[in-house]
Amino acid sequence: MQIELIFFIAMIVTFLIGAFLLKLPISLSMMLASIAGALVSGHGIPIKHLVEGTFGYIDTILVIATAMMFMKVIEESGALDTLNFLIVRKFHNNPVLLLILIMIIIMFPGMITGSSTAAVLSSGAIVAPVLMTMGIPVAETGAIIAMGAIYGMIAPPVNVPAMIIGGGIDLPYVGFTIPLLLLIVPVAVFTVLFLGLKYAKNFDYEQFILSSTNSVDSSSELVKSNVKEIKLFIPILVLIFLMLASKIAPQIIPNLGMPLIFLISAIVGLFTGKKVNFIQTSKSAVKSTLPVLGILMGVGMFIQIMTLTGVRGFIVDVALSLPSVFLYLGIAIFIPLFGAVSAFGSSSVLGVPFCLALLGKNEIIVAAALSFIAGTGDLVPPTALAGIFAAQVVGEENYFNILKKCIIPVIAIVVWGLVFIIFANPIGDLIL
Amino acid sequence: MALVYRLLVAFVLLFTVWELFDEEDLWNQANNALVIIPLLLRVLMIK
Repeated sequence: MQIELIFFIAMIVTFLIGAFLLKLPISLSMMLASIAGALVSGHGIPIKHLVEGTFGYIDTILVIATAMMFMKVIEESGALDTLNFLIVRKFHNNPVLLLILIMIIIMFPGMITGSSTAAVLSSGAIVAPVLMTMGIPVAETGAIIAMGAIYGMIAPPVNVPAMIIGGGIDLPYVGFTIPLLLLIVPVAVFTVLFLGLKYAKNFDYEQFILSSTNSVDSSSELVKSNVKEIKLFIPILVLIFLMLASKIAPQIIPNLGMPLIFLISAIVGLFTGKKVNFIQTSKSAVKSTLPVLGILMGVGMFIQIMTLTGVRGFIVDVALSLPSVFLYLGIAIFIPLFGAVSAFGSSSVLGVPFCLALLGKNEIIVAAALSFIAGTGDLVPPTALAGIFAAQVVGEENYFNILKKCIIPVIAIVVWGLVFIIFANPIGDLIL
Repeated sequence: MALVYRLLVAFVLLFTVWELFDEEDLWNQANNALVIIPLLLRVLMIK
């Protein structure tokens, strides 16, 4: 048995003891696992490396924190509620289109923050009552929200797993938009229709109107006045404008960076709808993201120690030496399973070596597909960020009821992702 | 731009520290402390 495997087993066992037996937060379990790995490998407690590891995700945590501030502001200002109401009002006669649009609403915060938790806690919480009013059972509603959040996390413009994989093979995060959309859109549409369509046909629109006149906006004038509707959506338009402007006209508008763009858009949102207390909203946003931010710190330490002890190289070596059949099988099984640690960790620890093992293929397509498959890790306990938060949002006590409903969509993700990997070169020639 | 970046990090750090003191659970406090480490070092430009 190779010595690195022993270090890796020590880390995994410590992590499992911390997370399951001692019921510690995932971040602390990962930190303890990192310390255990360093101790077993004879590095003592390498404070320098542990701190260095936390810096691996500092830009990501800034994006998540500021994006959540933006989400909270547009939620408090009434923009998300109103958007939800308008879509249902317009498309209630067409359940297929309605479900697809609801899926896009669920995905939206994940798309801009790169965090499935942000999607579940913001738009997921808003659409949950709508889905249940449509007659969709609790478990299916939770599954739609959890899956939508994962699709949002992977969809452009911000896909952290793809950034992590790209970072590992010196591939800039450019040109991912179309491959990611081609990966996500068909499976997202399939998921929401598979889980919700048979129930949505019984949607009681009158009941929805009655319940939403209280929740959408106490004044209900927002939905009567087109001018106010447009005003409500100004922060979203500012966000899109600032994201695109620096790409379209970089000589006029410099790239401000995602955190600053989110913060500017959030500040604009303070003046476009209901009154928002920015300090309290920001505090609440940071509070709701801290568990995820902590996990990212833990993942950073874990990966740093894996690199220090040679475990990461060992995994790369194993992945590179796998015959192609086992390679695809490994991608299909181990990348989602490693999500028990975190989808981000899975992208870094397994996504990078698998991408290296597939270097003859179009790297952008392969990295996009691997990130798509890695996203499913957010359903795997004990972390299960998307799934467990979705269970809380819909009031389902047993998370496994939601997980069961997610099995078919997860299989669809893995199969569709593998199709993209296997045919990466022709697909790349076609779309890039 | 570097100053704006530092201010932004300080802004997030402020709420993280605030949340650390508001948090009653010891383990969650430890989780928050983990997040504070890189933010603080970056604001002070130590790392």
